[in-house]
Amino acid sequence: MAQARNAVIVGGNRIPFGKAGGAYAAASNQDMLTAALDGLVARFGLAGQRVGEVAAGAVLKHSRDFNLTRETVLGSALDATTPAYDLQQACGTGLETVIQVANKIQLGQIDSAIAGGVDSASDAPIAVGEGLRRALLRANHARTALQRARALASIRPGDLAPETPRNSEPRTGLSMGEHQARTAREWGITREAQDELAAASHHNLARAWDEGFFDDLVTPFRRLSRDQGLRPDTSVEKLAALSPVFGRGEGATMTAGNSTPLSDGAALVLVASEEWAAERNLPVLARFVDAEVAAVDYVDGSEGLLMAPAYAVPRLLARQGLSLQDFDLYEIHEAFASTVLSTLAAWESQEFCTERLGLDAALGSIDRSRLNVNGSSLAVGHPFAATGGRIVASLAKLLSEKGPGSRGLISICAAGGQGVVAILEAV
Amino acid sequence: MTVPASAQDIEVELLEELPSIGREIARALVPTRRGGPDGSLPDRRVMVTDLVQDADRFAAYSRVCGFTLRDTVPATWLHVLTFPLQVHLMASADFPLALPGLVHVSNRMRLHRPVGVGEAVTLSSSAADLRAHGSGTQVDLLGEARVGDEVVWTGRSTYLARGKRPSDSPAQDATGPDLPKNAPEAVRTSPRNGGEPSALWRLGGGLGREYAAVSGDVNPIHLTPLTARAFGFPRTIAHGMWVHARTLAALEGRLPAVYEAAVEFRKPVLLPSTVGFSFAREGGGLGLCVTDRAGSRVHLTGSVT
Repeated sequence: MAQARNAVIVGGNRIPFGKAGGAYAAASNQDMLTAALDGLVARFGLAGQRVGEVAAGAVLKHSRDFNLTRETVLGSALDATTPAYDLQQACGTGLETVIQVANKIQLGQIDSAIAGGVDSASDAPIAVGEGLRRALLRANHARTALQRARALASIRPGDLAPETPRNSEPRTGLSMGEHQARTAREWGITREAQDELAAASHHNLARAWDEGFFDDLVTPFRRLSRDQGLRPDTSVEKLAALSPVFGRGEGATMTAGNSTPLSDGAALVLVASEEWAAERNLPVLARFVDAEVAAVDYVDGSEGLLMAPAYAVPRLLARQGLSLQDFDLYEIHEAFASTVLSTLAAWESQEFCTERLGLDAALGSIDRSRLNVNGSSLAVGHPFAATGGRIVASLAKLLSEKGPGSRGLISICAAGGQGVVAILEAV
Repeated sequence: MTVPASAQDIEVELLEELPSIGREIARALVPTRRGGPDGSLPDRRVMVTDLVQDADRFAAYSRVCGFTLRDTVPATWLHVLTFPLQVHLMASADFPLALPGLVHVSNRMRLHRPVGVGEAVTLSSSAADLRAHGSGTQVDLLGEARVGDEVVWTGRSTYLARGKRPSDSPAQDATGPDLPKNAPEAVRTSPRNGGEPSALWRLGGGLGREYAAVSGDVNPIHLTPLTARAFGFPRTIAHGMWVHARTLAALEGRLPAVYEAAVEFRKPVLLPSTVGFSFAREGGGLGLCVTDRAGSRVHLTGSVT
């Protein structure tokens, strides 16, 4: 097989992430994705140009948004002949779109692409009750007025109540937080360790904003110029005062402070071949090296819902001949502080690594000063499908600043017991 | 009409179509002297031949129970199809126990081969093994589904008539302690999930009516709080066979192509409520249980092999 060419991260653009019901309460997914896309187009001078493709997705999606990304492209400054498609892998969406377009670029099918995602917790779809929905569908399919009248007459008052949106796994009925509370308990993750990680996330993000790190990564939108959930002045002491919201009794350690808030936002990454970037005098931040996706059976309780990255990373390391310590930077998505800590604990556990992963020894610990150095989802917020694009762009820039050959690992857990992980390397 | 069965030396009562459960219940409410000449079980088999399955009702059943709609049917659907024959037999004047008050305490069935919803099935039901048991009398209602001559499904539903206990047998709580010694491993505390159920099901107040509409089981204890109270329940209770079907739906992807499912119905599930479901591998099969959301009060235990 011919040596595949490199796919490189040229840059990225996102809008500041908002709190649910906050700055973007009136904005739809398409509005936010367009804002991020137009910002990216302006940043890299792509107005009126045709890009190889745009791949993006949203986790919470209205049925009218069946062609969300293509509709966004049509309303953007890009040439209308740019193809686009939607992709969805829960919180892994954003990173999966980058993997998808990077693979196409490496294969030579396209030379450039924009990848990422958007989510709105504010503008979430609300479904009508199942009884009403089925009656309306029957009425819609009816051929005679009588059939239609019969269908409509079958609607009962109780059918008129909307379907309550539930943030729970369909097969377990448990929310992600309830699942993670079980995992945190299993791994003995303390409240103190979670609050420390959460405080560090806010402090790191605040420092990065103050240093101007996001100046070429973020476009303001709706009068928001910084991430709305950021609390620069939070502290371990303040976080310790919050009451647990997930788990029960003595062992409940997860609070609103060390869990990601519901958020709104969009993030995109520009990926290209080195030649394409060079022709346009665009920077090349990092090379997309490789990626892996794993899934766990959380339904029978044999593994935690958010533990799949713990399985994906060792498979990726083995394929690349790397150890867990061969990285200059680590980006582990902070779905919950305890998710990051459970994953690290699993890699440090001899028992987990030998029995569950089938390795000879534990993967070991990482240098915690290299972890989420400019903050992560606890402070930035986590509009589900937007997180991957945010992390890829930030990490590529950080690696580029560190110099050629520096290497970064991305790990993102997702609903449905999946985990998407990838390696970037500065060029 | 009544004709002698060719295969077994037992009479067959051949019905034109599946009887209406509502009418059978009404028939059973008429006071009458019950049982055969010596209080024995009717020794005939009630049968419907080459029944074409109702694909639309099957789709609705799949939705209400949480099954992915497939072209093959779960074992519990074949129980639903034979259930009217059971009720017809139990409502007959020569059945020794009164239908109102009979409690479905356990169920066991085997799917001998995958059955398509497009296959015509010959269904039959008979009663067997009338026996003193604990606080009353138990009887088994045997069911069978054939496609042509091939037996594709067999079932055994065990019913208890409370208070019909022969005077010389000792009294015993029929539902037993909350956690029986032989409870599946799934019931027991597992360090991984902290003894909490692995899934929660939120059951609406109208579930009994929804399941009645797709199963035909219009027993008033499942329909409205008022009718449930008339039979001594504080609220509407979920159909045991819905709970059973829901467990099989929850195990979808883990069920073998042919399997035997056995459940014991313990405390009834009052509606609306949130219940917990747990399962675990046990030997070559799966153990399962449905509890309250804390995992302590047991509604159903069972196994699939």
